[in-house]
Amino acid sequence: MNKVTTSTLIIFTLIAGWVFYLTNIKKDNSLTVRYYSISELAKESNDIQKIKVGGYIKPNSINISEEDQLKVSFFVYQNNDSVKVTYYGIRPDLFKDDAEVVVSGSYTNNLISATELQTKCASRYEGDLKNIEKI
Amino acid sequence: MVSQIGSIAISLAGGLIFSSFIFLGLFKKFKNQTYLQVAERSILATSYCIFLAFFCLLNELLISNFNLQYVAQYTSYETPVFYKVTALWAGQAGSLLFWSFITALFAVTYIFTTLKKLKALKFHSYIILSFIFSFFILLSNFIANPFEPVSSDIVVQNGNGLNPLLQNFFMAIHPPILYVGFTGSAIIFIMALAASISRDISFEWVQSIRRWSLFVWTFLSAGIILGGYWAYNELGWGGYWAWDPVENSSLMPWLTLTAFIHSSMIQEKRGMLKKWNFLLATSTYILVILGTFITRSGVISSVHSFTAENLGPMFFTFLAILLLYTIFWFFKRKSYLDTPDKIDSFTSREGGFLYNNLILILMCFTIMWGTLFPILSEAWDGNKIYVGASYFNQLNIPIGLVLLFLMGIGPLLSWNYTSQSVLFNRFKLPLSISFLSGLGYIIFSSLFQLYVFVAIMGVSFTLSSILGEFYKSFKKQKNSSNFLHSIVKMFLSNRHKNGGYIVHIGIVLLFIGFIGRAFEVEKEFSLSPGEQIYFSNYVFKLNSIKSEARDNHYAFLSEIDVVDSSTNQLLTNLKPEKRIYFYWNSDPEKRQPHSELDIYSTIQKDIYSIFSGYDAQKNIGYFKIMINPLVNWVWIGGVLMVIGSLFAFWPSRRNS
Repeated sequence: MNKVTTSTLIIFTLIAGWVFYLTNIKKDNSLTVRYYSISELAKESNDIQKIKVGGYIKPNSINISEEDQLKVSFFVYQNNDSVKVTYYGIRPDLFKDDAEVVVSGSYTNNLISATELQTKCASRYEGDLKNIEKI
Repeated sequence: MVSQIGSIAISLAGGLIFSSFIFLGLFKKFKNQTYLQVAERSILATSYCIFLAFFCLLNELLISNFNLQYVAQYTSYETPVFYKVTALWAGQAGSLLFWSFITALFAVTYIFTTLKKLKALKFHSYIILSFIFSFFILLSNFIANPFEPVSSDIVVQNGNGLNPLLQNFFMAIHPPILYVGFTGSAIIFIMALAASISRDISFEWVQSIRRWSLFVWTFLSAGIILGGYWAYNELGWGGYWAWDPVENSSLMPWLTLTAFIHSSMIQEKRGMLKKWNFLLATSTYILVILGTFITRSGVISSVHSFTAENLGPMFFTFLAILLLYTIFWFFKRKSYLDTPDKIDSFTSREGGFLYNNLILILMCFTIMWGTLFPILSEAWDGNKIYVGASYFNQLNIPIGLVLLFLMGIGPLLSWNYTSQSVLFNRFKLPLSISFLSGLGYIIFSSLFQLYVFVAIMGVSFTLSSILGEFYKSFKKQKNSSNFLHSIVKMFLSNRHKNGGYIVHIGIVLLFIGFIGRAFEVEKEFSLSPGEQIYFSNYVFKLNSIKSEARDNHYAFLSEIDVVDSSTNQLLTNLKPEKRIYFYWNSDPEKRQPHSELDIYSTIQKDIYSIFSGYDAQKNIGYFKIMINPLVNWVWIGGVLMVIGSLFAFWPSRRNS
């Protein structure tokens, strides 16, 4: 091997090592978040610093504060489990009962304080026939 | 009637592609050219059947035949004609047929142009082409058939209509443009494999595959940029790139293809790097299919993935076969692809290209790792780990900055070897300009940010290096008296090189746009009409909130005066809207709110406004304002990238 190939390989290995380090060893850092399912979280009694949870908004559980419309609480459910979420900020347009959401934030005393609230994007709108007007 | 024809056409396509396999087998056994010709005609006939099916579906969409499930799902009587056409690729079944349609277009072009010149590639090209075709035809026939009728017990009065978010010009046109790039990379894949398998890598082949690559690259780039443009103007989170798996899966093949375009130049000039080029050319299509698998299987939770039908396992199998086939032939033809020449010098054009390749592949690797990490980690220990945008930024910003400098270094290096004195002479001007602008940043900025500093130095270095190259070739044209004439002549003198430089300038402008991201600020607030708020040197005064019933939605219209507080002058009038689609529906579930943004856009900064909510009882509006500097440079850079690569791609008179 000549020097060009060797140095290329060395650089590549170093950076590859860096990538593995970032994602794997430093599991508890700002780069990665553990993804929980609602059922997992419902069993979890310990507080968790950083989580990401996906589920559906429980119908009739959305509670918008009287004083401040940006303040909201709701339940996210999946099958038979549900978890309460509080959020402050602008809500996505598709935020409504039964919408699929992804929530990130912290988990304390069985409550998620969300810092980020996303609804499933509609870039692929798989409209189903339940919305169609039938006779 | 027409839908039956379409349905028959895709079944027939299946039969025809099957017969092409049979004749390819016969050709292999008896070596009779007639069999190869029949196989070729079968593939052509398959393509024509797909064209027919495609136009049948188009017809059904245009006449609103709601007896077809697909038509009923994505259109309604009210859908404007333009969006009836774009509904062709709005859903799973239609987009798969559309994918086959473009593949068929490419197949016909490939057979009638490239294979007329490179006859030796025919046999293996047809095998791979038939395989790719049969996969998509299989899907259209059995898994996602766009001609599937609605179940017989219901009569559909009117269709669903297209999601309002998708009723945007750029959203409508970006998937087909991206698809052209995606499917076009199949031709590059086929050419690389067929030439290696039949041991027929010629100079014509390199030229031809390079032309295909440029063409595909143009569309991939345009598709990615348009997707970002749509997200920025329609989705209302104020950005154009979020490192979402779906976005990443379009960027990965772009990176390998970009690498291929550069390294194949070394093969064209010096006949080197055949193995490496083989891997880049094939991995581009494999990454496209990997991306499609990610997008359509639902294995990675993405904010925009398709809801899964049975496509995951299908695409996975397809991906695995392509991958194994490629690996098999790579090892089988390893000695053929070996080249004795090696790159010996760092300071040569080849060395520059090599580093460019390394960087691009590294980027691709980090993105792939981050995108697939959730699956890998779940398979490893059951923990689903989500990799956020900060991972991608932390890795790709420094790597991208190296790339930015390399774009300026490359043109200053000669082929083979550049001596130190030449090196010094060529570098001194761009380097001094770069240092001066870096110094300027340190002096004039209130807050020092390392990445911004390096990026500014990189932008000025690369820009001055490329413009210097232009100036040099401009001086060579001095015999013509007219200034404009010599500029035109200079550009036309070497389309390939100049087109490439234009693309590079476009990318430098993109970086200027990226620098702006470091200075973004945003604020969420509520206002009643008449109230005002101060934010980031501007005063925002809400004049009024009105409401209005329109054709297909109900709208709350806000009107905000933006006053520049340093000059105290009215800058603009922002009118973001809150719309409710399907508002007449008695079931609130089916009403769909939508925030229509308003953006005041200048070359320095965008003022981005969102009307996110309205409390009718208290008459309070909720708003979000973002100040996004330099965003327009991203779009300008994108346009320049496309212009540049078209310029390089366009055949010059001498060639034809």
